[in-house]
Amino acid sequence: MMKTGMTFAAALLAMAGAAAAEEVRVYNWSDYIDESLLAKFTEETGIDLVYDVFDSNEMLETKMLAGSSGYDVVVPSGTFLQRQIQAGAFMKLDRSKLPNYGNLWDMVSERVAKYDPGNQYAVNYMWGTTGIGVNINKVKEVLGDDAPVNSLALIFDPKNMEKLSQCGVHLLDAPTEMIPAALAYLGLDPDAQDEETLAKAEPVLEAIAPYVLKFHSSEYINALANGDICAVFGWSGDVLMARDRAAEADNGVEIEYHIPKEGALMWFDELAIPADAPNPDGAYKFINFMLDAHNIAAASNYVYYANGNKASQQFLNEDVIGDTAIYPDAQTMEKLYTTTPWDPKVNRFVTRMWTKIKSGT
Amino acid sequence: MAQPASRPVFAPWNDPAAKPLIQFKSVTKKFGEFVAIDDVTIDIFAQEFFALLGPSGCGKTTLMRMLAGFERPTKGQILLDGKDLADVPPNRRETNMMFQSYALFPHLSVWENIAFGLKRSPMPKGEIGPRVEQMLKLVRLDKFARRKPHQISGGQRQRVALARSLAKAPKLLLLDEPLGALDKKLRQDTQFELMDIQEKTGTTFLIVTHDQEEAMTVASRVAVMDHGKMIQIDTPDRIYEMPNSVYVADFIGDVNIIKGNAKPTGEGRFAISWAEGQPDIAAASGAGIAAGTPVHFAIRPEKIAISADKPADRANAVKGRIEDIAYLGNISTYKVELANGAMIKAQVANDRRLARRTFSWDDMVWLSFTDTAGVILMK
Amino acid sequence: MNFRRILLIATPYAWLVALFLVPFLIVFKISLSHYAISIPPYSPVFDISAGWEGFKTFLSKLDFDNYRFLSGDDLYWKAYLSSLQIAAISTIITLVVAYPIAYGMAQANDEWRPTLMMLVILPFWTSFLIRVYSWIGILSNEGFLNQILLGLGVIDTPLAIMNTNTAVYIGIVYTYLPFMVLPIYATLEKMDGSLIEAAEDLGCTRISAFWLVTLPLSKPGVIAGCFLVFIPALGEFVIPSLLGGSQTLMIGKVLWEEFFSNRDWPVASAVAVILLVLLIIPIILFQRNEQKQREANQ
Repeated sequence: MMKTGMTFAAALLAMAGAAAAEEVRVYNWSDYIDESLLAKFTEETGIDLVYDVFDSNEMLETKMLAGSSGYDVVVPSGTFLQRQIQAGAFMKLDRSKLPNYGNLWDMVSERVAKYDPGNQYAVNYMWGTTGIGVNINKVKEVLGDDAPVNSLALIFDPKNMEKLSQCGVHLLDAPTEMIPAALAYLGLDPDAQDEETLAKAEPVLEAIAPYVLKFHSSEYINALANGDICAVFGWSGDVLMARDRAAEADNGVEIEYHIPKEGALMWFDELAIPADAPNPDGAYKFINFMLDAHNIAAASNYVYYANGNKASQQFLNEDVIGDTAIYPDAQTMEKLYTTTPWDPKVNRFVTRMWTKIKSGT
Repeated sequence: MAQPASRPVFAPWNDPAAKPLIQFKSVTKKFGEFVAIDDVTIDIFAQEFFALLGPSGCGKTTLMRMLAGFERPTKGQILLDGKDLADVPPNRRETNMMFQSYALFPHLSVWENIAFGLKRSPMPKGEIGPRVEQMLKLVRLDKFARRKPHQISGGQRQRVALARSLAKAPKLLLLDEPLGALDKKLRQDTQFELMDIQEKTGTTFLIVTHDQEEAMTVASRVAVMDHGKMIQIDTPDRIYEMPNSVYVADFIGDVNIIKGNAKPTGEGRFAISWAEGQPDIAAASGAGIAAGTPVHFAIRPEKIAISADKPADRANAVKGRIEDIAYLGNISTYKVELANGAMIKAQVANDRRLARRTFSWDDMVWLSFTDTAGVILMK
Repeated sequence: MNFRRILLIATPYAWLVALFLVPFLIVFKISLSHYAISIPPYSPVFDISAGWEGFKTFLSKLDFDNYRFLSGDDLYWKAYLSSLQIAAISTIITLVVAYPIAYGMAQANDEWRPTLMMLVILPFWTSFLIRVYSWIGILSNEGFLNQILLGLGVIDTPLAIMNTNTAVYIGIVYTYLPFMVLPIYATLEKMDGSLIEAAEDLGCTRISAFWLVTLPLSKPGVIAGCFLVFIPALGEFVIPSLLGGSQTLMIGKVLWEEFFSNRDWPVASAVAVILLVLLIIPIILFQRNEQKQREANQ
């Protein structure tokens, strides 16, 4: 019933699309592109671009698994990509339709193969790390000049959090990010798959939860830039974008991003085409457009995330390619870890744990 | 009119030593620019049944609301038992009011409605119950004590409202068009019941009404108002027989008004010339009226006799043609057109059956009346 | 009975079946299935082509595991209870705020009433989301309210209202205020003014006349208003998720998280079914009250 309903809606969309010009519908993360690229795409291809945004993988997965989302290109992260491939949500890519495929960086493709064996279903858009964002002056004001801004202890030690709560802390509303970090803080395997080990993250997160102003995965960009909060455990590029916005606003807020010395999650956001995409040809054109070295470089320069495109590196600004917070040096690279998806039963266990942590019950 | 013959003469207003219960002293009330009450002075005595009569908008309700405390006079004083009421809020006045809409509390039973005022009074709890029962008996509603107002009839609601306003034994009971919502038959019965209750309780009643018959029936004195002014305050019979103005004469009952010029003929008698070709009207008046003064002559239709031949012994007689006959059951009103076109109404009691009626349409008849039957009005 | 009559009577039932019963049965069916990584994300999925045998196997795979799971986890009980509490407290606050407004409107001059009524309804002309978002601008640390209070020197550190239950209460009270004001106003406006005068005449002060007459007579409006606020507040999701913090536990939010964060449709459906059952109780009470009111007016 639900399915036919959705199909009907999609059919309507398709009809509306057919009546007008050709259309590609893209569903990407919020604040994740230089918007001038969207106009450029339409200009070059004559295809209308409908660009919607989301701010959690969970949200995207809900739409993917419901089916008939109506989107042609979506951007899931590694572990989610893997699950959705299992569920049959994506179509295999035909590389002959992606002339720019050769621009990809094998360092990234090899790592993504963990989620997408043989890189059959997706190409990399951006990748990054999950780490610590601070309003450095406020944090030093609260914790002193020797505040451990490059350590998970800043976030996971309740003593620090209690003080930081005066100036506000956001954490990502994503158990897939927060629980591995808590395990890393404890010195355990961040990619643990057993409930027993995962359960050890709970007391750590529970102890700090009362000091968290909000668990949210996108509001922190503005909150950090405005000075509403002084610390966040979030995604590298988002923190750097906040840094940029604060600098633009010239409001005296100085933001820093740190990859924790205990290690950080390395994640990959991948461009993929839903199995039921209304306009797969348009989707290929969009992906190929984003594989263009100039275009993806422009996107990276704008959002401060590293991309998986080797050829684009020559076009990157120095404050992107030269920043080890974005393109980590070999030494930092070694500390980065990746995770694999939990099976459904463990997933249920983790999400329940997450709800309990957030709500304090 | 309504004074039973057996009752001793009750007329404190004629007794200079009597102390009035209520005194209005030059009271004026304005709403913005509109003058609702214009310099009114009245005395109302204890145990009176005083009626304020007038058309709607004449200010009678405003006068009553000032007594209840819902309005304050703009100028002048209102005294109750000699005390100025100006700063006494409604809830502290020894008056109670029965509202035109009855204003029964819909969420309370009949019993609770009657007890409402008692519960706000210093009356000890134990005495409230018996008092409510007493009031219920007085208005014959003992069986309906547990009902809610919407579960009883209009007449019963009216009696609840009366019982409620009487329960606190006020010095003065104000009744705002109390019978207006009842049908005619019930209204007449209730009028007598009201008088009965007034007599039993000895409470002073002030009734506001636009119904002159009701005022005449129940009241010991009637005050006729118009445009915020007191026109005449008097006993019902005097209001009827001796109106002091065309307004009062016209407002109370049926009347023929004839405009003319008076000429003294001696001994308090006057001849009023009023129309070409018609004989002057011979009338009596206590007032001295200079010759040629324009006056109105007012005569009630029932004071005019109708006959086929000219009566010899009447001071006034005019001839005319029967234009219309209104049969009202107990009486018939004849409209008679005189030669000059003037229309005079005469009333005759139907002491015979209709079939044997003496006069019919277009009959030429004589109308006659004595020289004391009518009154000469200056205004 | 002729065809026209049958059609007339059948229309509302047809709507109810199409818009309420069928969706409910779909949700109920999903609540009996299990989470799966597939499209759609639960199993079993009923396949009409499998025929009667397929339907029987489909039925045999359904069970009440999700309800067992919900009843076994105190999170959901707490969420329901906390929703009840937040809805109840919000309703009381709304009543306290709305009553004077309604009273003032009913006392106002006839020529003012349409304007006042318009002012109460006016916010509905703006999107609900925008109005809730604008509260973020007012309540946040750098927001309007804190700026003013800081500017006036009333406080020296910003009040942390945003992302707390207080903000949720403010949001609910603000959003549902007209639902409380209008029914109370309707009863007060109908009330005969002479009742108050009668009460005063019989010895009441202004205040006791209010307590003894006005308030009891406005009871139907108060009850209607309370239900109109309580019922939607109980399942409220947008306000707690935008204005509330991590501690704000409301069943609407839990439901959203089960659906969108946990992607567990079956459990989300079970939560929804229970919420519906919970909501039916006050709705039935409300209906009864309306019925009683109608009878009393006859």
